[in-house]
Amino acid sequence: MLTAKPMSRVLIVASRDQAVPIIQELYRGNLFHIEDYVEQGREGYEGFKIGTPLEGATEASTELIKVRAIENVFAIRGEDIEAKEKLGLPQIRSQIEKDLPGIEKEVEELAGARSKLDTKVKEYEQKIAELTPFLEIPVDLALLKGFRHFSVLAGYVNRNVSLIVPHEIQVVKGKDRSFVLAIVPEKNRAEAERLLQDAQFQAVTIPEENGTAPTRTAYYTEQIAALKKDIDAINIKLAAIKESHTGLLVACEEAFRAKIEQAEAPLRFATTSKVFVAEGWVPADRTKGVSEALDKATGGKVFVTELPVDPVHDAVPVEYNNPSFAKPAQMLMDIYSRPMYTEVDPTLMLAIVFPIFFGLILGDVGYGILLLIMCFALRRVLKGDDAREFLVVLRNASISSIIFGILFSEFLGFELPWAPIIFSRHLNIGGTEAAGQGPAIAELMVLAIWIGILHITLGRAMGMINHARQDHGAHRVKAVLANLGWITVMWGILVGIWSMFALPLMPDLSKLPVVAGLSAGLVIAAILIVMGIIFIVRDAVLEIVELPTIISHVLSYARLVAVGLSSVAIAMVVNYMSIGMFIGPGLKNLSILGIVLIIVGVMVFLIGHAFNLALGILGGGLHSIRLHYVEFFTKFYKGGGRKYIPFGMKRRFTED
Amino acid sequence: MADVNMTLDMVQASQVGMKAIGAALAVGLTGVGTGVAEMGIGAAAVGASAENKDFFGLGLLFTVIPETIVIFGLVIALLLLF
Repeated sequence: MLTAKPMSRVLIVASRDQAVPIIQELYRGNLFHIEDYVEQGREGYEGFKIGTPLEGATEASTELIKVRAIENVFAIRGEDIEAKEKLGLPQIRSQIEKDLPGIEKEVEELAGARSKLDTKVKEYEQKIAELTPFLEIPVDLALLKGFRHFSVLAGYVNRNVSLIVPHEIQVVKGKDRSFVLAIVPEKNRAEAERLLQDAQFQAVTIPEENGTAPTRTAYYTEQIAALKKDIDAINIKLAAIKESHTGLLVACEEAFRAKIEQAEAPLRFATTSKVFVAEGWVPADRTKGVSEALDKATGGKVFVTELPVDPVHDAVPVEYNNPSFAKPAQMLMDIYSRPMYTEVDPTLMLAIVFPIFFGLILGDVGYGILLLIMCFALRRVLKGDDAREFLVVLRNASISSIIFGILFSEFLGFELPWAPIIFSRHLNIGGTEAAGQGPAIAELMVLAIWIGILHITLGRAMGMINHARQDHGAHRVKAVLANLGWITVMWGILVGIWSMFALPLMPDLSKLPVVAGLSAGLVIAAILIVMGIIFIVRDAVLEIVELPTIISHVLSYARLVAVGLSSVAIAMVVNYMSIGMFIGPGLKNLSILGIVLIIVGVMVFLIGHAFNLALGILGGGLHSIRLHYVEFFTKFYKGGGRKYIPFGMKRRFTED
Repeated sequence: MADVNMTLDMVQASQVGMKAIGAALAVGLTGVGTGVAEMGIGAAAVGASAENKDFFGLGLLFTVIPETIVIFGLVIALLLLF
């Protein structure tokens, strides 16, 4: 908790003929994060070279590409598929040999035929498009070509034209432009074109067809229908193949991927002609198990040892170490950056505080329930680990939203049958609110500010811990004190404000005794601020320019109330509009107009609340996470840790 | 604004109106400010995350930094109105 999982650095040495069992065992264990060997003459690695892939890598790659091509045709993605049964490797191997080539060939042929038909359809559609302008011209299109002494001009003009040269013309009036087909003697062609040009003539090519435009169009439409029928038949065949072989395809992909990853592992090892050396990371509590398993797999022909770890300078891969309820919040951490090995991992705090912030902003029982339903509905649609984690985060947020909704006594902007348990957020919109029960804005603001102060103080305290852990020598003390300085300046400013003004929910220090013309509170405030500034300056003078951020960051937490109130306001306005302006008058006067009014009112209600819910998710989610990223993390969190990616795979469709 | 001919009620009503206008200006103008500020950042952030998906989180962070401006406006508006 609050730190990354402890890792140990493991060195594996064995002769090259043991490479296969060792790689297989490591892959099965799915615990060893391989440190890629780079040939740059590291001390102790003279004469070592990067290894060569195991046998079968190339063949497996070719096969994998083929399988993926088929999966592309079917739009199958392994992550989206619910694993039903796991196929054993021997079974897959036999099916790969027996069935796969046949499936590959069939799918390839069908897909090829389908794309040919698709091209044909496109071609015919193009022809129909070319024919469309001529639909109203009752002439065989073949008759419009092949003249020696005449020119045929066809195209669109945007106003009437009168050709002063001898001509034959047919005009089809359109909405904002007309289609013109004109036949002029060859010698007058230039003149006619110029006249047409004045009416912004856009020439259209005359299709190479025999017959009138309508008959040809009908012919092509028929052809397209026939082709579509063929395509449908192919699609049905493909769907049948997809239906019966999806399981095999995803299993094959997994099997080939596993094979390739294993075969290419030596590319990450240091090797000589006789031995290979693999260096990597294993979670400290699993080291023993890994070493024993390797011993067993090779019959003792392997040397495994633990190397000393320098947590600051070695780039230790980071694996989260959180209780299970905080795990989904890791996704929100990864969006920002993974923590470094040595620093405090704030996932747990994020997992607790994020839903609270979300609930404070979107505190409404109705919206909370809708969100919760949405979460469960999406769980059926969205597959994959990331989506699942996201949904769990959303679920926690919506539960918190319901709880705060009960406290705020809000249901889709309506008041629940009890008075708000904490502070009221009910606005007086449309005069619906009972007199004297307005929103407790000042109290809510101060509450948000308090949350900000505590959150930022916590952040700075973490900053102290981080610096105490990571830095060396004199800088450690300076950096820790600087963080303390930021805290004291903030609290100094607070004490100063308390001694000057009496605020709700805040201690009132203005009544403190006056010593030598100065209020005691102000003296304490001054001492705190000056002390803080001295601490900050000792670490870095330029940090002085950041002092105003103390106030702006704390005030930034006011968004918890402000964004929430705006969402309440929208909900209440929607209610007032739909019920007060449409449904109410409609119910009073149940004529046809009344019913129309009621329907409009219901529409306004539904659309308005859907819109507000979307805004609420965006606002509640983005602002809560932003308060963490910008206001909280900047106080202590650096991130940039390396992700722990163990060598191996979570097998979903196959088993060893 | 108070005219000699205005009654006390009228003066009070006009003050309420002025407050409302002030609140509207506070939210509206800060909203414009935020929009202008986020315009450039947002475009750059989208470009950066198109190149490298890992940048999304940081890009989001940069993009929402000017959001504080409009929140201040909203806070002022709420304090004015209530």
